[in-house]
Parts: sequence; structure tokens; C-alpha cells
Amino acid sequence: MRTISAVQSPAPEPGADTAPALLEFRNVRIVYDNAIEAIRDVSLAVPRGGVVALLGSNGAGKSTLLKAMSGILHTEEGVIENGSIQFDGVDIHRAPADDIVRRGVVQVPEGRRVFAGLTIDENLQMGGYTRTSTDAREARDKVFTLFPRLADRRDQIAGYMSGGEQQMLAIGRALMTNPTLLALDEPSLGLAPLIIDRIYEIIAGLRRELGLTVLLVEQNAQRALEIADYGYILENGRVVLDGPATKLAANADVQEFYLGVSSTGRKSLRDVKHYKRRKRWLS
Amino acid sequence: MDYFLQLAVSGIAIGAVYGLLAMGFAAIYKSTGLVNFAQGEITMIVAYIAWTIATTVSGNVVVVSAGAIAAAVVLGLAIERIVMRPMLGEPVFSTVMVTIGLAVILRSSITFIWDAYPHALDLGTGRGIIRIGGLGVRGAQIAVVGTLLLLLAGFWLFFRYSKFGVAMRAVAADDRTALLMGISASRIHAIAWAASSVVAGIAGIFFAISYDLSPDMYQLGLKAFPATILGGLDSVLGSGFGGILIGLTENLAGGYLGSGVKDVAGFVMIVVVLMIRPFGLFGERDIERV
Repeated sequence: MRTISAVQSPAPEPGADTAPALLEFRNVRIVYDNAIEAIRDVSLAVPRGGVVALLGSNGAGKSTLLKAMSGILHTEEGVIENGSIQFDGVDIHRAPADDIVRRGVVQVPEGRRVFAGLTIDENLQMGGYTRTSTDAREARDKVFTLFPRLADRRDQIAGYMSGGEQQMLAIGRALMTNPTLLALDEPSLGLAPLIIDRIYEIIAGLRRELGLTVLLVEQNAQRALEIADYGYILENGRVVLDGPATKLAANADVQEFYLGVSSTGRKSLRDVKHYKRRKRWLS
Repeated sequence: MDYFLQLAVSGIAIGAVYGLLAMGFAAIYKSTGLVNFAQGEITMIVAYIAWTIATTVSGNVVVVSAGAIAAAVVLGLAIERIVMRPMLGEPVFSTVMVTIGLAVILRSSITFIWDAYPHALDLGTGRGIIRIGGLGVRGAQIAVVGTLLLLLAGFWLFFRYSKFGVAMRAVAADDRTALLMGISASRIHAIAWAASSVVAGIAGIFFAISYDLSPDMYQLGLKAFPATILGGLDSVLGSGFGGILIGLTENLAGGYLGSGVKDVAGFVMIVVVLMIRPFGLFGERDIERV
């Protein structure tokens, strides 16, 4: 079996070959509680107008990277010990969260996190908190054209909507901030396959029609690689593999461990155990 | 019947004072998730500041209220900035202990800055007894009920229609996600502390006009706390009504069952109500979807 680390591109040069990246993590190291190293020396780049997938299993550090991007690590006693995060050529890793939102970086958090007790309208209003009321009203009209169902139910309490509708509301709320870069943290989590299709159509549409740059964090590698241009695979807080989405999807290790397919048929549990052990030695 | 009415009317009046304080408790709890045990002390300090303005600058009602409200805003903002903000993210228990410490400090500052004697806050109005039928009520007692009702309406509109009001609810529900939307929680907290000090201060002034100023006024906080638990710790409006209920119960129990029962009655009521409705009369249950 090939080792996964052998395919890794030379660090820290990230995946943007031509255009300068819109969002760039450079040699980022993140530590929680002064003790737990969640991210070790991660570099990755999201080119303007691109869709980049950040894949990995539970606890790999994907959400940690997004929290660092949004400037909310401190709420969980996390600190960026090393490296930098740049957006549009400006360091944002020390900026306060509201400043980052105003610059055009927003994320749809894991588990959607709509404000359950607020109405749909009020949730959207909160997305437009950093904007003037005229801008916010215009943005809301756009969101309503994008998601007519939200318009129909605007006075309902968000907590009582279905998971798919809440995901749409969470995306709509993020769009209210007028972002340049939209990050989505596991948008398919806990949703039925048909709804996931719909959500992914929406994400593809946002890039196509609004020209949004998208950073897509997923455990569901197959879905993510379908719409991404480029992908990074994160394991134990470091990038173990990155490349164009089509290449990643064709990679034997990715197929085996993230897509659940294998060219040599079903592997035995022993192989997986071997892989896991090797991974531990390597990390 | 006259006896009952008289008890009821003065019960509602003192209940309105509790209600205002209780609204202050709820405003802070709703946006910061903390119980501020210094609420009664803030009430007392603002009342003393009002008395100082009245005795040194001018006894004019407008001047005194404007000055006291401004002082309450400054006091609330200062407490938030100096004491509470450094505690942000620390365990809730420690932070609540800090408010208890703050309460003791503020309480003793009264005797340092002012003195231990009772004083009358005389603004020229409100102390006179108005006779309605056989009932005697002080003007300030009527005014405090009216103020409570006005503020209840104001808070309702604020939480429902103003951007800051909705943001306060959003921060209360999920401060981390609010942060992701660019809502700065510390600014929202500061607004809550200022608003809470102002309503508490208003209550203190009315109380001082109707009764007297004294260094044990902070005990109003102990009476208002059951009111906010009764109404629902997360419900500003419910807390306002909770105050009226506690005041009424207390006064009727005191009048009919003896003054010993008076102080206990409110607590007996909250024990019973909480056993039936653990979230208080108007408190919200968390919305849970599976």
C-alpha cells in the first residue's frame, strides 16, 4: 500500500498555482487550553472565485480552522500560536470577529445554529447586523428570491423548521453579511440525501451566480469533491494530502478511506487497522 | 373591603418597585446568562446619588431624574467594563460570585460616602397623600406603577422591533453564533448593564420618595429576586409582572396573617409556582427539535 504522506505536495506551498489566493492559511499552529495541539503547521489557500474542499474525519481539526478564520477561537480557549491567516492580502488572525465579517468572510457553522427562538425574519436581520438597514433590507429581498420558502414562512419561529430549511436559513443568514468568501461547516450533516442534493445545488449556484468564493468543510468527501476545484485532506491537525478535486477523487487512498470504494475489492479490517497504526506513527 | 383595597393598592405599589428591579435582573440574565446579585445595591446607590443631587444641586424633579439616570448609565457601564468584561468566558459560578463581592463593596460604600442615617428624598412632589374614595395613596406610588407599565411596553417594543433588542435575544440564545454574524457580545452586554441599572435606579428613586433612603435599601434586591424567578429569569416582561404578584401577596399576607408572614409569603409562593412551572410563569422552555 502506498503511504499517504508520499503524495503530499511540498509544504508550505499551497494549492493556488496562478491567481493570488483570496484566503490563505500560512503555517498555522493552533493550541487549545495551552496544551492540546489541534492544528500543526497547516497551510492552505482558497483562490478567488474557487470552491475548495477541506476534508477529514471527526476531530481532524477542520472546524478549528474555520473558527480561527472567523476569529472566535478565543471563545474556546484556543490560540493561534504560529503562522498567519490572510484575507485579500490582509492579516486577519488577530482581528476581532465583527471586523472579519465586515471584510467579507463569513461561515455557516456546523449544525446550522439558527437562533431557535427568533423568527426567520429576525434571524436574517441578525445576519445583516453589521450593515445599514437599507443594505440589509435589499440583501433580505435577495435571500427571499433565492429561498422563496423562507419568504413564505418569515414570521415563523426558526427552531420549529426542518433541518433542511434551517440549513437554508443558515446560508441565507450568512449571505446577509454580503460575503466575498463563504465557508460552510458540514452543510450535509444530519440531512436526508435528497435535501443534501438540494443544498449542494444551492452552493454550486452561489458560486455560479453570485461569484462567491467557497470553502467547504466536509466529512462527506464524495459530495464535496463533486463541486470543488481543489481539496485538502486533514488528519490529526495536519494536511496529509492536497490536490485538484478530480485527482483526489481518483487517488487510491482517498477512495479507500474517504470515499469507501476500493479497486481491489473490500479490504479486511486488518488493513484498516494497519493503516491507522501507521498513521499514528507518522503523526 | 376598604382594608383589602388599601392593602392591595400599597401591595401593587411596592410590587411595581420589585418589578422594576426584577426587570433589571432579567435584562442582564437574558443577555449575559448571569444573575447580578448587586442589583439591590445599584438601586440604592442611584437613589443616594439622586438624594445628593436634590440636596446640593437642585430639587427640581427633572434635574434630579435626568442626573440620576445619567449616573445609573455610567454606573452600569463602569461595572460591565471594569468588573464583568474581564470575567467573560470564566465559569458562571465565579462570575456570579464576583457580583456578590461587588454587592458587598457597593453596600458598604454607602456608609463611606454618605452616612448610616435615613434620609427623605423630597422632590416637592410625590410624597403627598392623594385620597381616592377612602383610600390614601402617595403620588409616587401611583407614578411607580405607571412607570412600570410604560417600561414594560417599552421593553416589549425594544425586544421585538429594535435591532439591538433582537441582537440581545440572539446573543442570549447563542453568543458564539452571534459573534459569527459580527454581533459584538460585549457591546450588547454593556447595553444590558446600562439598561438594567437605569430601571433599578428608577425603582430606587420611587422607593426613596414613597418611603425613605437608608443603607438597608439594598434588601429590595432580595425581594425582587423571587419576583424575577417567579416571572421567569429570562423574561423581562414576566419579571415585571412577577414583581406585582410578589408585592401583592406579601402585603395581603402581612395584613391578614400577621407581619411575621409578610416576608415569607413571597418565597412560599415561588416555591409552589416553581414546583408546577420550573421555568417561572412566563419563562421560555428551550426549543428542542429531534
